[in-house]
Amino acid sequence: MESTIPTNKDNEILSLANNLRWDLGVNFHDTIIESIYEDASHLAKRSVHQEGDPAKHFDLKIDRIVTSRWLGFPIMFLLLALVFWLTVSGANYPSGLLADLFIGKIYPWLKGAAASIGTPTWLSGVAIDGAYLAVAWVVSVMLPPMAIFFPLFTLLEDFGYLPRVAFNMDNLFRKAGAHGKQALTLSMGFGCNAAGVIATRVIDSPRERLIAIITNNFSLCNGRWPTQILIATIFIGGAVPAYLAGIVSAGAVVAIAVLGIGFSLAVSWGLSKSILRGEASAFSLELPPYRPPRILQTLYTSLIDRTIFVLWRAIVFALPAGIVIWLVANIHVNGLSIAEHFIRWSNPFGLVFGLNGVIILAYIIAIPANEIVIPTVLMLTVLQTGLQGVGEGAGVMFDTTSIQGTETILRAGGWTLLTGINLMLFSLLHNPCSTTIYTIFKETHSWKWTLVSTFLPIVLGLVVCFFTTQIWLLITG
Amino acid sequence: MSNPTGCENCPVHHKEHLIRMGIAMDRVDYVVALAGNPNTGKSTVFNNLTGLRQHTGNWPGKTVTRAEGGYSYAEKRYKVVDLPGTYSLLSTSTDEDVARNFILFGRPDVTVIVADATRLERNLNLTLQILEITDRAVLCLNLMDEAKRNHIEIDLRNLSKDLGIPVIPTAARQKEGMPELIQAIEEVASGKYVCKPRRKKSKSPKLNHAIDTLVKKLAEQFPGIPNLNWVALRLLEGDESIIDAIRTGELGTLSPSIFPSLTP
Amino acid sequence: MICHSYILLLSDPGWTLLFGTLLLVPLAGIFWPKIGLLAFSRRSRLNRQRVWLEDALKYLFDCEYKKVTCSLNSIAGNLHISADKTAKLLNRLRSMGLITMEGEAELQLTDAGRSYALRIIRVHRIWERYLADETGVDQMEWHGEADLQEHQLSPSAANQLAARMGNPVFDPHGDPIPTIEGEMPQHRGQPLSSLEEGTVAQIIHLEDEPHTIYEQLAALGLYPGMQVYVMDKTDGKITFAADGEECILTTLFAASITVETLKTKEKIREKQELLSSLVLGESAEIISLSPNIRGQQRRRLMDLGFVPGTAIRAELNSAGGDPRGYRILGTTVGIRRQQADLIYIKRTTTNKHE
Repeated sequence: MESTIPTNKDNEILSLANNLRWDLGVNFHDTIIESIYEDASHLAKRSVHQEGDPAKHFDLKIDRIVTSRWLGFPIMFLLLALVFWLTVSGANYPSGLLADLFIGKIYPWLKGAAASIGTPTWLSGVAIDGAYLAVAWVVSVMLPPMAIFFPLFTLLEDFGYLPRVAFNMDNLFRKAGAHGKQALTLSMGFGCNAAGVIATRVIDSPRERLIAIITNNFSLCNGRWPTQILIATIFIGGAVPAYLAGIVSAGAVVAIAVLGIGFSLAVSWGLSKSILRGEASAFSLELPPYRPPRILQTLYTSLIDRTIFVLWRAIVFALPAGIVIWLVANIHVNGLSIAEHFIRWSNPFGLVFGLNGVIILAYIIAIPANEIVIPTVLMLTVLQTGLQGVGEGAGVMFDTTSIQGTETILRAGGWTLLTGINLMLFSLLHNPCSTTIYTIFKETHSWKWTLVSTFLPIVLGLVVCFFTTQIWLLITG
Repeated sequence: MSNPTGCENCPVHHKEHLIRMGIAMDRVDYVVALAGNPNTGKSTVFNNLTGLRQHTGNWPGKTVTRAEGGYSYAEKRYKVVDLPGTYSLLSTSTDEDVARNFILFGRPDVTVIVADATRLERNLNLTLQILEITDRAVLCLNLMDEAKRNHIEIDLRNLSKDLGIPVIPTAARQKEGMPELIQAIEEVASGKYVCKPRRKKSKSPKLNHAIDTLVKKLAEQFPGIPNLNWVALRLLEGDESIIDAIRTGELGTLSPSIFPSLTP
Repeated sequence: MICHSYILLLSDPGWTLLFGTLLLVPLAGIFWPKIGLLAFSRRSRLNRQRVWLEDALKYLFDCEYKKVTCSLNSIAGNLHISADKTAKLLNRLRSMGLITMEGEAELQLTDAGRSYALRIIRVHRIWERYLADETGVDQMEWHGEADLQEHQLSPSAANQLAARMGNPVFDPHGDPIPTIEGEMPQHRGQPLSSLEEGTVAQIIHLEDEPHTIYEQLAALGLYPGMQVYVMDKTDGKITFAADGEECILTTLFAASITVETLKTKEKIREKQELLSSLVLGESAEIISLSPNIRGQQRRRLMDLGFVPGTAIRAELNSAGGDPRGYRILGTTVGIRRQQADLIYIKRTTTNKHE
């Protein structure tokens, strides 16, 4: 622009245009649009013949039911519950199968093969105990629920039901300063936060989209469900009479998920009133026509997409994490591994929040994937306590086949009911996994919002754990 | 030349004629731009034309990534550029800038406007705006199956006469009407079909006066531009890319080179 | 040892709680919007001298534009500084070649001074336009924010911003924005207070200073583009219909509204009904969108067909009650009640189905 010197004639045109614009006044853009719409309407009247009122047909009948005051919410909860139930019950078996294959069969075989050809211990440690195990873990924990949850969601989307959910939920989300479509991105967050963040693209208002991105992490993703269930079973189920254990621990997990939704709404409200107050906001929600979903095609493409996503994530994010985890547990300085040094140093700090050094270290080195937090915690606890006869050796993540086994290790590591509760809270309220952080950056193109999304939940988590712990200690003396 | 109707043997139906995205197209005969409102099945039409697999969904604005692909038909190679779905070309948003500037400065040989047959009035709004910019366009009236289900009848000949461009009924999800669409694209691209796009003046005398004044001035300096009315209108809207084109004098050539690429 | 006392302090939950709570207080003090330390430091980074200088130029230009004379005292009043400081400031302006002074009454901008003032005004008005169209900042804050921004934003950054917004030519109050070359249209219109009874006019500008008056005008829902019809003028009060809605203002307040008289040929606009008043099943024709729907929100609604002349029908309430689905151009579009309150309609049918 600056490089070319405008000729007088050009300036003349531009200045003429400016003067004309001043003469036309403030409303002329509307005049243009109005006249085009008028012509379009005229043309449509000439060529379109409509028998009856289309709105009174099929679509409106369904809409009357799914958005009705009495049936709207029950239908929504039933459908979403069905999706979750299918996911949870359907994912169990393939997850076990994959774990058995990757960790139960291939892993020992790899170790054996490495030993037989004389691979140095450090190399087989880094490659097999570190990199391979992390990848195997992520794939077996994450793939089955993803491959069931998202195709189901996509079917509901193709049919046209999801916009109706947003329509029904908007009243609640409006009060929290958010967009009704956040109900959907929040639900998808229960599958995977990174996918939930990508899904915020359907929110076409800048402020509400940012709110949905920043708060998506409060949806408990499928990498965190197993942690919640395990800890609830051990510590909360263990604190009540045996016949109540099942229902109380299940209730505790649901309570954490509901707490997440509560935080999501509360933080949305806070953001819309504070740092995001000045961002532009525009609401509109189209209710597209219902269309019969193409089931097979949708299932197929969705399945392929999710599998590729999980593999990408496992290789790009989990693999390096696996290497780091093995290294911190196996590189020794002054006779102690780096992990033990850090655990000792951070333990008092962790105790203030009702956590411990092991948990803090596990959450730092397992940023890439929530799925490997529990295996890492177990490995580090064994490392720290020096328990004999459990686990696979220093720096090798493992999961015990029995809940009792896990409990023994954790209790040996000094865990109490309070630690369990705090771990559940902290698992809900901590930084998003690195895949999600990366996705947030890609979607917002902004360091600022990426940092806010990363640190807001962790600060919140520390504050909540701090007050829970200290008030608990004050009461129990 | 192949038979335009009942086109089971059209070259487009043979996979080997499809050029996949990402493969550099060394020689392209025609550039086809695909424009349309969101949620009209534009991505499905794109996938049908190019054999690619872009994600589609029943949700406005689902397609976020832009795509290019290609096909060949009757020994000509066509490059298809999928423009972002927009409702209008008159406001300032990134998507609309991209679509508008590509049609004006990229000068595609044919612009295919994908419209939803069940909501023709709404879609004609964008159609009319596109016809202000380009005079080589085809209206692809998609979702005809849905229109039929809703008892909507459209007088295609009348519409085609009013708009001055070919109107092709399709049902892209069922892959119906694609051969006819490809045929129509070929006819417009090769000049066999000469479009006479509808361009109507607004009802506001004040606005018409302003446009006429500007057009007169513009015509003195940039003679021979077919869509000066649109240029004048955009100047009144303060469109920076037009202002730039005037400052640099490149409006005179309307050369594709000043619009370097679609990707941001 | 510090470390030791830290452990001691944290071993008692009561003390720890107190300590933790106290830690949150300074954090809030730093980050709290508007009154926190961060916000304060942002404001204090401005160079006071330059701000005065630029504000004085702006004020002098405003006087010149509206063809009123201004004195040292009126400048001092406008800038809220003492007459002494103002005199010093004026001397500085003269030595910089921005103004000429012939005695105290004859203050004139030089060409350099005028173009400096226009640059500041351009940045100010572009920023107001930006806040109105591209952000959710409340309209009461536009002017104040722009007053800060005009001294900080470089002209080239302002030009880029303007280009992105389609080079607007009016700010949201209806004031023309000077071009990059420093062009401005002639001052037009007259104050509303000067109109006779029975005149029809259109609002072209609302003065955004002083703040208290602007607040009142905005609260009445007045905006540029509205049609006014003067009904009565007595006792220093003026009664008028603004797009059909009756308003009463004192002459002092009415002087802050600039209007342009219209030929009486123009149809006098009547009071209009709101879209939100439709009962389910009722149809209407859209008459206009309030200017309070702006920027992206306005574009979105217009894209979806909320354009004068379009037929619309209330069709569906959501289960939560608030957004309501309206049938428009063959699509059901959900909009919230607060938006439907800003869309004016004319009822076409009152028969409900079902």
